[in-house]
Amino acid sequence: MFLSLMGVDGHVSQGPWFASVLTLKTSAPLRAEPKKKKKVDPRREQMVRERLKKKLKKLERVPPELIPIEDFTTPAKYMDETRVRGAPQLPFEESERRALLLKEWSRYKQTQHRAEMEAVGLAVEAQREALEELRLESEELYQAALRPDPLLFPFNHQGPSYTPPKAQYEAPEGKYNNITKVYTQ
Amino acid sequence: MQWRKLRASFALHSRVLDQAGLLFRASVSVQHPIQGSLAFSNERQYRTMPTHGIGKYKHLLPKEAPKKKKERQQMKQIKTATDAEYGTLNVKVSGYDMILVEHYSQYIHNLCNRLGVKVAESYALPTKSTEVMVMPEQGTKMYVDAILKTHERIVQLSQLNATLCPTFMEVLLKNQPEGIQLSVKLHTEADYQARFKARPELEGLMAQMT
Repeated sequence: MFLSLMGVDGHVSQGPWFASVLTLKTSAPLRAEPKKKKKVDPRREQMVRERLKKKLKKLERVPPELIPIEDFTTPAKYMDETRVRGAPQLPFEESERRALLLKEWSRYKQTQHRAEMEAVGLAVEAQREALEELRLESEELYQAALRPDPLLFPFNHQGPSYTPPKAQYEAPEGKYNNITKVYTQ
Repeated sequence: MQWRKLRASFALHSRVLDQAGLLFRASVSVQHPIQGSLAFSNERQYRTMPTHGIGKYKHLLPKEAPKKKKERQQMKQIKTATDAEYGTLNVKVSGYDMILVEHYSQYIHNLCNRLGVKVAESYALPTKSTEVMVMPEQGTKMYVDAILKTHERIVQLSQLNATLCPTFMEVLLKNQPEGIQLSVKLHTEADYQARFKARPELEGLMAQMT
């Protein structure tokens, strides 16, 4: 236990700082009784927790905001009114030619669209007939055919490119940096 | 004599009016029990007339729910795949050219409308900017070559028939423009949360609490 400086070897020490080497060096706080736990401590922890909860509730009440999309905001330099250019004055034949060209184009696109929709309709109809025949053959296979394919997703496909990739192409050294702006609420 | 006659006539008149008023009040209370109480609250002269309330029409309109000014964005229910249909699908169109991306996403939306596929949502994800740093042949310092912006649009489909799916995918692939990447995935809550701004304070507090 805690030995006092006076009691063990009988030497009178001149204070807590001048004890002999043989004695246990005890300091004043060591000799004192164990600290009584303050009653305020659990209450303090509770208060801290309550404060945190209140802060959380306040923050949670605010609804989260969507990240603004840069595509939909026109940049400021396009709103400059000094750089507005008036519409060009076209001769009569030119405007006529353009109108007729638009009509030709719309007719072409309409035939294309109609052909596409017809093709889709035919495909769906053919599929339906095939499924009917399958149903007549066996009910189990028909049910299996109706079920969705779980292995289809995720599905990725690259669009075509103007030119095919070069055979032996040495790309210059470099790297990509992601500089997307990070928004915080 | 005249005065007595007047009084009698007045009494008759008032009795008739009272009866009319009673009848009308009864009818009012039968049809509009809510407004009947109001009729008794403020005493106004012309409420006893039989034409009272003749211009009322609001009780005939369907009841509208009261509009809340701040409408919290609630996440729509993510549907799971059933026996004949897929769950909530995200068709993501991404590319460097914004016009092509937008037009292609509009085309997909119109196609879904035409084929009867339900479109739950159609939104845009924030654009990603990528800086291309190139190392020159002579020298060691990298310099910025270009800034590429990747635009993304998402069309969310809710009930896609499993039989219609292959035809739908074929049409999409046939009409894919150059340089556009098409990806079809299942919708998750993480995808939905990625659209919102990050809240570091909230996350710090949550970490502190647990």
